[in-house]
Amino acid sequence: MIVTSLKPLDEILDSISPYSKILIAGCDGCTQPPRGLREAKTLSQLLELAGKLKGKDMQFKVTTVVKQCDSFLTASALKSQMDGVEAVLSLACGAGPQTVAEIFPDIPVLPAQNSHFVGAEDREGGILEDRCSACGDCILALTGGICPVTRCAKGLLNGACGGARNGKCEMDPERDCAWELIYKRLERLGKLDLLKEFRSPRNYQAKAWRLTP
Amino acid sequence: MSQQVAEPQVAVNINEDYCSRCSICRSLCPFEAITKDAESGKVVLDIEKCQVCGICYSACPAKAIDTIYYDYGSLLKYLKTAKPKYDSDTLVIMCKGSAPDSAGVERLFGVSKFIPLSVPCVGRLPEELLLQAIAMGIKKIYLLACDENYCRFDRGSSLTGRRILALNRLLEQLGYGREAVTLKRNSLKVKVDKDLCIACGNCVFYCPYHAPKLESPGGISFDLDACRGCGLCVAICPAIALDLDNWERERISTLISQLLSEMRAPKILVFRCQWAVFPPLDEESSPNIRAIDLPCAGRVDAFHLLEAFQKGADGVLIAACPEEDCRQEGVSAKAQHWVEALKQRLGQIGFGDRLHFCFVARRHPEQMDKELRQFGQKIEAIVSERGRK
Repeated sequence: MIVTSLKPLDEILDSISPYSKILIAGCDGCTQPPRGLREAKTLSQLLELAGKLKGKDMQFKVTTVVKQCDSFLTASALKSQMDGVEAVLSLACGAGPQTVAEIFPDIPVLPAQNSHFVGAEDREGGILEDRCSACGDCILALTGGICPVTRCAKGLLNGACGGARNGKCEMDPERDCAWELIYKRLERLGKLDLLKEFRSPRNYQAKAWRLTP
Repeated sequence: MSQQVAEPQVAVNINEDYCSRCSICRSLCPFEAITKDAESGKVVLDIEKCQVCGICYSACPAKAIDTIYYDYGSLLKYLKTAKPKYDSDTLVIMCKGSAPDSAGVERLFGVSKFIPLSVPCVGRLPEELLLQAIAMGIKKIYLLACDENYCRFDRGSSLTGRRILALNRLLEQLGYGREAVTLKRNSLKVKVDKDLCIACGNCVFYCPYHAPKLESPGGISFDLDACRGCGLCVAICPAIALDLDNWERERISTLISQLLSEMRAPKILVFRCQWAVFPPLDEESSPNIRAIDLPCAGRVDAFHLLEAFQKGADGVLIAACPEEDCRQEGVSAKAQHWVEALKQRLGQIGFGDRLHFCFVARRHPEQMDKELRQFGQKIEAIVSERGRK
């Protein structure tokens, strides 16, 4: 999932200030926590309240899209809703507003979210964590299902660096050393021999910018 | 609400002078709050364990138990004023846990004109109240209890079933027919709009009763026998695909509009868990304060809190049961978490101080009075400060 957080309301209010008829578009897709209809509705109520306090009358419509990064789904969900809309406030990750902008080139699209990472959620612990750098050259098969590109602060392919203290990274004592995790996991799987293999430098060209499905 | 509270009131008390030490109360108490002192033989109530269900009060043969909530005297007083007011000889007594609106009552019992009486648990009603109601000229009594496995006070619903059985036999002998009192069971349940569901799994994760299940492919199904109608899933569903039967979102919105329109500024709207605060039947609040009773603090919805502000509330107070009293397995603590998250967002637009969440226990009624008084003063200060600007 793409992990995002709501921008400070001041920043959103600033960005929508030139407009008075705004469509808030949620995204039911992978964004976590879900930024669907409820989030859109709640945000519209908050912004309306803030507007009232400043004596500004803003009208909000709220809707949601199954996946805002899908131009077909977004076009079919939003086209019928654009009547009189002066700007779209998007609750999706960075891909959403860009998709909307391409479909409606004459309407300003404003992001309500900051996108952080491709992450995983630990619901019990209430934590979302970075898991994938979308490098285009996945080596999880060799590293016990733990990504050193993302989770090692130095992105080492042939760790560990030797700087870890008590299993924590020397760059950030809050963070687990990815290579210690990898070692323990491979040990458990009985595959420590994988560590003897030298992994050659990453192919940076593998990080594609365009693909055909 | 501005009056000074003197002595804290005692919610339930065993009057030693009248107690015959028969221990019926002890055998019925669902919460083991009543014990017999081994040395003195006295029957003792531990108020901190008491959940104020009133079962002991209605069962005591010696009338040795006093309660400040819905005792025989206040219920009778209510009936005397309500009978001419509603101009009906049909009485509908509902447990708050399962109470629908008047349309719901009509659906369940087929009556449109009736005297409504809603109490926290019908298990607290002494039989003589029902007999007294019939003596007053009430022809038909409908009792609406929660399903037995859903009863917030464990035994309230089943106990009532047994009592009504015996009472109807007695009434039949007296010539009042076989069914002067009709008991039905009804429990609030979630309903899902499958078209809106995005199968995010939030309800599955948060439901304390494991009622929702993820279906594959994507979708959700609810085991309604497991659902206990707390409304927690309704309040958090990101897709607004859920609602609570008989406590629909719209019903709460209508109430918000109606109450705010009849209030005077500064307006404080209170969302109460109906198990945290037991309001008196003749509740009179100041023109600045109105309350909405919800099935559980878990049903407190960010929508409704924001809607209240949008419609002119100056302050919004949420009263929930303390975690140890929550009859819904930790839901009140979760409600606090979400309200605090909303408060943080409201803080960003200068409304943070106007939202207040508090835990109050029904066994200590002075707690709610105190919270309301302090919050009222705070809101008054905020409003007059704004007036000066």
